[in-house]
Amino acid sequence: MRLELGKIHIKDVQFGAETKVEAGVLYVNADEICKLVLEDERIINCRVELAHPGESCRITPVKDVLEPRVKVSGGGQIFPGALNKVGQVGSGRTHCLDGACVVTVGKIVGFQEGVIDMSGPAAEYCPFSKTQNVCVVIEPKDGLETHDYEQAGRMVGLKVADYLGQFARDLEPDEIEVYETKPLLEQIAEYPDLPKVGYLHMLQSQGLLHDTFYYGVDAKTFIPTLMYPTEIMDGAIVSGNCVAPCDKVTTYHHFHNPVIEDLYKHHGKDLNFVGVILTNENVFLADKERCSDMVAKLASYIGLDGILITEEGYGNPDTDLMMNCRKVQNAGVDVVLITDEFPGRDGKSLSLADACKEADALASCGNGNVVIHFPPMDRLIGMTDFIEMQIGGWAGCKNDDGSFDAEIQIIIASTIANGFNKLAARGY
Amino acid sequence: MGYTVVTNNVLCRDRFQGEYDVVYNEDWSYLDVLYQVRDLVQKGAILITHPMAGSLKPNQTPFRSVVIGTFTMEDKEPWEDIMLMENSIESCQKFLRGRPLPDYAENIKKDFRTLDLSFIEGAMARAFRCPGITE
Repeated sequence: MRLELGKIHIKDVQFGAETKVEAGVLYVNADEICKLVLEDERIINCRVELAHPGESCRITPVKDVLEPRVKVSGGGQIFPGALNKVGQVGSGRTHCLDGACVVTVGKIVGFQEGVIDMSGPAAEYCPFSKTQNVCVVIEPKDGLETHDYEQAGRMVGLKVADYLGQFARDLEPDEIEVYETKPLLEQIAEYPDLPKVGYLHMLQSQGLLHDTFYYGVDAKTFIPTLMYPTEIMDGAIVSGNCVAPCDKVTTYHHFHNPVIEDLYKHHGKDLNFVGVILTNENVFLADKERCSDMVAKLASYIGLDGILITEEGYGNPDTDLMMNCRKVQNAGVDVVLITDEFPGRDGKSLSLADACKEADALASCGNGNVVIHFPPMDRLIGMTDFIEMQIGGWAGCKNDDGSFDAEIQIIIASTIANGFNKLAARGY
Repeated sequence: MGYTVVTNNVLCRDRFQGEYDVVYNEDWSYLDVLYQVRDLVQKGAILITHPMAGSLKPNQTPFRSVVIGTFTMEDKEPWEDIMLMENSIESCQKFLRGRPLPDYAENIKKDFRTLDLSFIEGAMARAFRCPGITE
C-alpha cells in the first residue's frame, strides 16, 4: 500500500461565517458544528470554543483529540466502519489539517478525563498545548446510560473531525509525505540485507472507557491480525477509551503513531519495516494466552528479526505486554518494549504490574506519578468541578484561585506509552 | 464445575447472582478482594479474569471483581496464578502506600461500579457457558 499524506499547515483557528481554510487559517462555523452534533438526540447541548497555544486557558475534562482528515483518492473513507461505510483504506491520497485538532470535552464519568493547559508548566507535557484546538463541549440528556454517552461522545469527535476534514479535500497541500509498504514477499525482497522489523500495536480492549475499534470492530472480539501501517493513517483505528489521561492513546495518536512514523524514517536505510501486528488487552485470561500465542506465530510467520511493542494502560495490559514479549522472543524475534511507568513519586517502586526475564530492552515514556503545580488560568473550557476526583488529583489538591497540584497523569498524553512525548529514562 | 465471582461491587453481584456463585461483601476494599482471591487460588481455584482488570489504579477505584473457576482452556501451571495474585497484591499495596483511595461521593462510586461490571461482563461473554464441556 502506498499512501500520500498531504498536510495543509494550520497556523491559526478562528470563528467565521463559513467553514474554510484560507492562508493557513482554519475558519469554523460553530453553528454548523453544533447542528451536526445535536443531530444525536442523546446530546442536548453543544458549544464550540477555540483554544490557541500560549493562551491562559485550561480545557477539561477531555475525552478524545482528533485531527481533521479526508480521503481524497484511493478508496474508502476516513474512520471506516466507525463513522463512514466499511471500506479498505491505506492507499491513495489523504489530506489533513496539520496543526489543528478537534477536542471533545464533557463529563462522561466523574473521573478519568484529563486536562490540557494551553500555557504554563503543564503545557510542557502535552502535545495538544501546541495545536490550534476546536473544542466541542457537550452535555448529555438527563439519565443517559454511561455506555450510550461514551458512544455518543465518541461519535461527536469522529463527526466533527470528518466534517472539518472535508474542507481540506480540494486544497493544495503545503507538504506531501509518502509512505509505502509492499506485499510481504516483495517487501522482504526489496531490502534483503536489512533486518526485518515489525511493530506490535496492543489496543485497549477491557470494557467501558477502555475500548478501541478497528474498522469499527471492538478489539476485544478480534484475534491478532496483520495491518499495513498506512491503514492507521486513514482512521482504521478509533479510540473509545479514557483509561488514565496520561497514557491514553487518542484517535489523534493513532493517526500520528510515532513508532510507525519512525520506522518509516529508518525504512530502507538500516531496517526493513515489513508491517504491523494488531492485538488486544483482554480481561479474560484465556484470551491473553490465545492472542499472545498468535502474536508470536504471526511474528515468526512473516519472518521478523525484531519487533517493537507498545501497550496502552496499566495493570492488566502489563500481563499481555509480558506474555507477548516472552513468546515473541522465544520464537526467535528480538523484542524492544515501549511503555510508561508508575514507580511512585520517588521512582523507587516497580514500574509495571508484571515482568519477565525476556523483557531486557525497554524504552520508557516517563513516570506518571510526578507531581506538578497547575497555576490559575484566565479562561476555562469545560469545568474543573471534578479535579479532585480526576485521575492524578486528590482531595484538597485544588485551591480557591483555581490552581491545583496533581500528578502528571492528569494531563492528556503526558506519558503516552508509544513515545509521542518528550519524557524518557536514561541510564548513566 | 462453575464460575465464582469474588466482588465488592453490588452491580456485579446483582448481574451474576443466579448464574454463577457470587462471593460478595460490600465492606471489602480492592485489596481485600485480592486477598480473598489469593486464598482461593492457593486452595486450587483457577483465575479466569485478570485480577487487575481495567487500567484504573488500585488507589483510584474502590471496586474490584475477579472471576475464578475450576476449569480453564489455558495451559497453565497453578503457580502462575499464585504469582499473578502476589504481583497484583504487591502492586496494589505500592499504589496505596503512595496515595490512599479518595473518599468518593456516591455518584462517582456509581461510575466506578459501572466500569468494574463492564470489565467482567465483557470477559464472561467470552467464557464457556458450561465450563469443562467443550462445544
